[in-house]
Formats: sequence, structure tokens, C-alpha cells
Amino acid sequence: MSPAPAAQLEYKPLDGGWGWMVVVGAHISIGFAYATPKVLSIFYKEIQDDLGASFSEIALISSVMLAAMYAGGPVSSVLVNRFGSRPIVILGGLMCGLSMVTASFGTSIVYLYLCIGVIGGCGLSLNLNASLIIISKYFLTKRPLANGLAMAGSPVFLCVLAPFNQYLLVNFGWRGSLLILGGLMLNCCVAGALMRPVTPPRKPSSYVQESKVEVHPNNSKTRLKGSCMKNAKKFLDLSFFKDRGFVIYLIGNIMFIFGAYAPIVFLSAYAVSHGVEEYSAAYLLSIMGFVDMFVRPGTGLLANSKWIRPRIQYFFSFAMVFNGMCHLLCPLITSYAFLVVYAVFFGVGFGMVFALIFECLMDLMGSERFPRAVGLVTIIECFPMLLGPPAAGLLVDIYGDYKYLFLMCGSVILTGGLFLFVMNIYNYHMLEKEKQNQERAAEVEKKRAPEAEMERTEPEAKEMNGVQNEMTDLGVWGLFPHSVSFPGQRPPGTLPDVAYTAAPSPPPPQSPPGL
Amino acid sequence: MNLLWAVSALLLSCWQASASTAPKIITEPNEVSNQTSAVLSCNLTETNLPIKGSHWMHNGKIIEDSKSSDTSPSTSLHLEKITHISGGKYECVFLTDPEAKQTIEVKTLPHVGAYKHSEHGNEKDKGVMVCVSHGYPLPTDWTWYKEEDGSQKPIINGTTDKYEIKSTPNNTTLTINDLSIENDIGDYVCSGTNELGTTNDKIHLRVRSRLAALWPFLGIVAEVIILVTIIFIYEKRRKPDEINDGSAPLKSNSNANHKDKNVRQRNSN
Repeated sequence: MSPAPAAQLEYKPLDGGWGWMVVVGAHISIGFAYATPKVLSIFYKEIQDDLGASFSEIALISSVMLAAMYAGGPVSSVLVNRFGSRPIVILGGLMCGLSMVTASFGTSIVYLYLCIGVIGGCGLSLNLNASLIIISKYFLTKRPLANGLAMAGSPVFLCVLAPFNQYLLVNFGWRGSLLILGGLMLNCCVAGALMRPVTPPRKPSSYVQESKVEVHPNNSKTRLKGSCMKNAKKFLDLSFFKDRGFVIYLIGNIMFIFGAYAPIVFLSAYAVSHGVEEYSAAYLLSIMGFVDMFVRPGTGLLANSKWIRPRIQYFFSFAMVFNGMCHLLCPLITSYAFLVVYAVFFGVGFGMVFALIFECLMDLMGSERFPRAVGLVTIIECFPMLLGPPAAGLLVDIYGDYKYLFLMCGSVILTGGLFLFVMNIYNYHMLEKEKQNQERAAEVEKKRAPEAEMERTEPEAKEMNGVQNEMTDLGVWGLFPHSVSFPGQRPPGTLPDVAYTAAPSPPPPQSPPGL
Repeated sequence: MNLLWAVSALLLSCWQASASTAPKIITEPNEVSNQTSAVLSCNLTETNLPIKGSHWMHNGKIIEDSKSSDTSPSTSLHLEKITHISGGKYECVFLTDPEAKQTIEVKTLPHVGAYKHSEHGNEKDKGVMVCVSHGYPLPTDWTWYKEEDGSQKPIINGTTDKYEIKSTPNNTTLTINDLSIENDIGDYVCSGTNELGTTNDKIHLRVRSRLAALWPFLGIVAEVIILVTIIFIYEKRRKPDEINDGSAPLKSNSNANHKDKNVRQRNSN
């Protein structure tokens, strides 16, 4: 029998209460993480004039920051596993604040690369991963909604910081603005303070469980003293690549990220090339961001409903297909009114995908494996993210027409969405087969093993799965997964985790029903 | 004698030949300066060449509306409002073989405008102010003034390290080094002079103090520290009441826990 998420966590997540304050903290953290590299571009003209650098040298600052933010994922995951989210987000906030403050005294472009790019990017990566991980710890039934609300931080902060940065630039110059922005990023420490660590309920047997859970960190400590290869393995857990669901998700994600950012970068240039004036063209991006702000929590709410939650992977592939279709239809648009409509639909599609992107990974991996998985995913996503816009720009240079850019991005995203849809059907089919095999094997064992043991584990696990079981009733045709109860399915033949076997054992005084 | 006669006949025939192929255009007026409107006209004389049409050119670009296939030897262009944009070199072109053209200059006062009417600079840093000019003819002289107590004090290039003026006919740049808040804040006037007259424009310079951004920064840091302290104090206060922070008790334990809680409450009461 495969583990249920509650059994893996040894407790039932709060799904409310202080969890919503954690969502606020995550909202702030994620907001700064995604918005800062984009809004820094407002300062570039002045920095360029002051330091005498070329445009491409200046634009590299954002790229270095984004690259550091994504590449720092695995390190961040390991640190969060060890120390918990709160200290890591506070540390991330301090690093970001420090990076901006030191950058404000910069006199050369290389200094800015180091301060804003490397230190700032690392700080943001700590923030981002820790926020996502703590949401997976605090929420289960309302997790899609929590994810949607937290990811909404990105467009909200983008819309707020962009005009605010402009105001700062006029009144304080780029140095003063970076100083004040550094101060603002210290608010990530406030967000971190909100992320109260999750304490499992104290039961006598919990010491047994905790000591068994401790085995993992202790093991990791001894491994640290080992060789370099073992170190690398600790950071990049390549065993994830054996997980079918993970590989499918990863491929779909890579395709999406490759095509996702280029249309944003080139939208206003495309509009200008069709005779729209510059100011109105810039307005298109604001419309997109504004729509995005509302779509993300809305998608979270929708994904939380009992019809969509079990089928969330299909919803994700639908969102990607929608996004791809949007881009494919864009070259047919030439008038400004239709471009506004396109921007709205683009915002809707973009928001839907990003609200679900981490929720789907949490759904696949479960709360225990999510931290390492997200670290691996972010570092791999680094490459399509950095390659996408330049590749699209190259297309524009070769053909001299923006429509090929939209066609390329749209087709890549559409292919990714369809790939995810088809492969998920296959994956769930295989999971059903494996589950049936495991059930048969468990029944065989049942006849051999003491009856009491099995009777104790099954009803307990069923109670823990209480909520999830409602949603799994829709397992018709073997297509709609019991994914909520069985995330992170392992192929048959592998041993269950140590923590898992300890979990279902009940505390002595209590008499479980069914006995 | 015969040789002399032949040479002079040759010269005469050459002169007559050139006279018959060199058209003369009479322009009216020759030059326009300081007028609000004008009518430019060209008259092609002293030629027998066929005229296929005519058009006008402004600063080297053909004026589309002026194209005509009228074979008349005179053409005119009406300039309703002469501004710095419509000033410049006008050419009337007759489509003969070869083309015959003549230039009429329309001169206006220079149009001087500041690149930005409000400039910022940082203390101890340098401040740059730019003025550009359009029109014809472009200014030959640029001067900068600083407005002090209602009067304009000219800024002379080269006397001190503080001021640097770089001028081209198109634009002029004033660079002030080592800005100080007491002395350098104020209005600066750039004026350009051409043969018709002078026009000027004003720029306001603001100098930001180095420490201007420090106070908001310190305020934000204080706010962060206060919020973090409040959150931690709140958490420490609630900790004794709620053991199971961040997780709900398991369903199977719930009965046991409730009993415990009730027991505690009864005892405390």
C-alpha cells in the first residue's frame, strides 16, 4: 500500500488558521523574487549613463540575477530541509537587502553583477524555494488556493514596484533608489518571521517517529564528510529522474518556460511595428499584469474545487494549451483593440499556468519529496529561461518579422501542453496497474502476516486519508487518478521510506476502531 | 587677320550656344527673413528648352503637393505660416533637360528648446543641461546664463573648472562639476543667436543631497525590526496555549486530546 500524504507528514496539515498568515508571507517573498529582476530594468538607463556601460552589459544584470535565483534552488532546498523555512527566508531577506544597499555604492558594472546579480539572486532563490516548501507543509486540501494566492504576489509586486521605482528614480537617483529598494527587500525578513515552523503533535510514540526521521539528516551529515560526488548527489538528487511523473512534468515545464517569456519581452515591439504608439504598447503589458493578478488566485480557487482537484494535472495541461493557442493566434491580430484582447487572454493563460506550476509538482511529489524536487526543477528550468528570449530574438533578426516568434513560442507551448496531457493519461494508467499489483501483493502478505497488524494499519490509513478519499471516488475508467492519496508513487519493488513504516503505528493508550 | 576673325566667330558662336542652353531663373523674393508668410515664385527665362513640369524642394526633399506637369515657365509656392519647421532652403526645379533650379532661403529666428526642463543632479556629482535648436539658419553663438536675484549672470567657458560648455550649431551642453546644494540650485538660461536674432529657454536644476535617501531607508529598517519583534513576541505569548502549532491533532487522537483539555480547564477553574 502506498503512503498517504498525511501518513508521510505524520500529522494533518493545518489548512487554515495561521496558514493564511504564512500565505501572506509567501506572497511577499514570491512577489519580490519574481518582480525584482524585471523592475530593476527601470534603473538601467541612468546606470548606463553614470557608469558608461553598454546596453547589453547592463541588461546582463537581470540575467545574472535570474540565473542565480534559479540555479540556487538545490542549495536552498537542502538548507530548508535542514533548518526549516523561517531562518532561510530571513537569511534570504537579509542577503537581498544587503545586495541592494551595497550596489547603491557601486562604481563599476562588474561590482553590480556581483552585488545585485549574484548575492541578490542567491537571496531571492532562498526566499522562493523556502516559501513554496512551507506552503506544501501547511496546506493539503486547500493547497491549490494557497498556491494561487502566494503566486499572485508576482504580478501584484510587479504592478506596484514598477511605478514606485519610477518615482524613486526621479526623486533620489538610481543610487538612492537602490538603497530604499534594499530596505524594502528587508521586508522579506518580516515574511520569514511569519513562517512559523510546523511542529508535529507531541505523542509518546512521536519520539520514535522523530528519531527515525532524524535518521535522514544524520545520514546526510555523514555523507557531507564523504567525497565530492556524494556532495553533488546530496544537492542534486538524480534519483528523481527514475520517477516517471517527475520526468513528464519536467519536460512539459521546460517546453513552457522556453516559450513563455519571449512574447512578454517582444510584445510592445510587435505592437509598435504594427503602428501602435509606444505609450499604448507599453500599456498592453500592464493590462496583462493586471489580469494576471486576479487570475492566479481565481485559478487556485478553481483548482481547489472537488471536480478539478483530482484532475489537476489535466487542468495544468489545458492551461498550457490555452497559452499556446493564444500565441499562435497573435500574428493574425493587427489592430490595437484586438491586441488588448490578446493581452487579456495572454494574462489569463499565463496566470493559470503559473498558479498551477508548483501545485502540480507538489501534487506529484508529495510534501516530503517536494523540497528536493523543486530545487532540481528550478536549476534545470534555468536553461530554457535564459535561452528562450534570445532564441526568439534571433528568429526576429533572421526573418525580420515578429510573427515567427509568436508562432514558435505558441507551437512549443502547445506541444508541451499536449505532451503533458497524453503522458499524464499514460502515467496514471501505469500507476493504476502498479497499485493493483501492489494491492495483490499486500493481500498475499496479509494472509501470511499477523492479522491484527494489518487491521490496525488499514483503517488508520483510511481515516487519515479521510478527505482525500472523497476526491478519489472519481476514479472512473482508471483515468482519473487517486493522485491525491498516492503522490510520489514509487515503481513496484522499491522499499518504502523508513519514516512511512513508523507512521501508522498508533500510540498505546488509544484503541483503534475495527479491532 | 583671318585667324583672328575665325577665333572670334568661334567664340561668338560658343557664347550664343551657351546662352541658348543656360536658362535663367528669376526668383521673387531672393530671400525671406523674419516674415510670417510669403509667396515664393520662380520665373524661367532665356531658354527655348521644353518644360515638362516643375516642383519645389524643401531642404533636399521634394514637396509632393508642389509637383505639377504644367509647362508654364513660372511656378510659385505659398507659405502660409513661416515657423522654424517650415524655414530652410527652398528650391524650385524645372523639369528641363538639363534641370534648372534655383534656391530661395527662408530664414527664421532660431528655435531653442531645452532637452529637459527640469534636470537633477547629485551633490558633489556633475549636472548636465542640454539645449537643442531647430530652424534655419542654425545658431552661430550659444550663451548660458545663471539666474541670480532676478538678473542673468553669464557663464563663461574656461575660466573655472566648475563650468564646461560644449556647443555645436545643433545643440549646446552645460556641465557643472561638483554640485553644491547652496550654490547650484536654480534656473539656467541657454540662448542661441543667429543672424536674425536670439531666443532662449530655461532649465531648472535640482540638486539631491547624498543623504536624501538615507532617511526613508532607516525608516523602513525600523519598520521591519518592529514588525519582526511584534511577530516573535506574539508567537512566544501564544506558545503555552497551543502546543500543536501548525498542525491539527490526528483524528484517531482527538477524543483523548479533548478529554485532556477538558480536564485542564476544569482544574484551572
